[in-house]
Amino acid sequence: MVIRIAAVGDVHLDEDVVGRFRPALEEMPGNADVLLLAGDLTRHGTEVEARCVAREFGGLGVPVVAVLGNHDHQCDQVPQVVGALEEAGIVVLEGNGVVLDSPGGRLGVAGVKGFGGGFAGRCASDFGEPEMKAFVRTTTESADRLAEALHSLDCDLLVALTHYSPVPDTLAGEPLEIYPFLGSYQLGQAIDSAPTALALHGHAHHGSERGTTPGGVRVRNVAHPVIKQAYSIFHLGDHLDQAQVSGIGAGGIQQSWS
Amino acid sequence: MTRHRGLGAGPPDEYVEAEIHRLLTEDPAVAEQGISVVRTERALVLYGEVESAQRRDEILRRVSERFPDVPITSDIGVIRKQAPTEIEQLP
Ligand SMILES: [Fe+2]
Ligand SMILES: [Fe+2]
Repeated sequence: MVIRIAAVGDVHLDEDVVGRFRPALEEMPGNADVLLLAGDLTRHGTEVEARCVAREFGGLGVPVVAVLGNHDHQCDQVPQVVGALEEAGIVVLEGNGVVLDSPGGRLGVAGVKGFGGGFAGRCASDFGEPEMKAFVRTTTESADRLAEALHSLDCDLLVALTHYSPVPDTLAGEPLEIYPFLGSYQLGQAIDSAPTALALHGHAHHGSERGTTPGGVRVRNVAHPVIKQAYSIFHLGDHLDQAQVSGIGAGGIQQSWS
Repeated sequence: MTRHRGLGAGPPDEYVEAEIHRLLTEDPAVAEQGISVVRTERALVLYGEVESAQRRDEILRRVSERFPDVPITSDIGVIRKQAPTEIEQLP
């Protein structure tokens, strides 16, 4: 059985964009079991913009699950933004998860916004000035919450949803100098600590689509400027029987997936 | 932000580039982190993709307004929004 996942990030909605995605979104029921939004839903994170997101992505006929991005934090109206999205039936994750029943099985989605810090051997450390330690600890806490959320879900297929990238692979195309602002290896570590089948993120507008965590979990950058279409669709879990899924869960080995 | 001196006196320099780059993100009328500023011999060229034609036009308007003496051209595109025609199979 297959679970059909539609995903896009970085739609940066404001009133000038309302209606742009709708024709493509109307084609979604029948083609996808869920739509995942990988953050930067708004331009400045205002409640007004969140209502634009609610209009554009609400009432689609498929469940919509989102994480916020850095843009959604810009105006310090996160509770209002989340409220507007939830009113439209959009599930907003931050350090928690949701399990959705679909014809192909139970899909678990765990989500956090995530944060920067960089990648193995070239990352910020929890050392020195309080500002630097606060930066690194923000990432550590976010990754810890992601790991906890991933482990908390009882499902057939597990997906991690973040805004920041868990791997450098999907940043290819961005200047190397800004990698530490685009993601963190700790998110990858959290993803690898659970039997995750797929990790989706956004944020890196100049990045590339495909990557893999060190533990072998497939990663996709679904930022709108990267996928260059209204959303991407992934068919997950084909040809897998329950024994294989359990095997991966028990051993944490992803060989049969790559 | 530091005011830039000597505009028009020489070629656009790194500080102008840095200032434009920050303006693109920090100006609420723009708020784009995905625009690159590339220096060529004749002008500074803005590259990237945005969600609407208004945003594309507004970027050039704001940057030209702020740096009237710097030759700037824009090659910013509007991101396509069609439904996918292919599905990625992840067995
Ligand atoms: Fe973004
Ligand atoms: Fe972002």
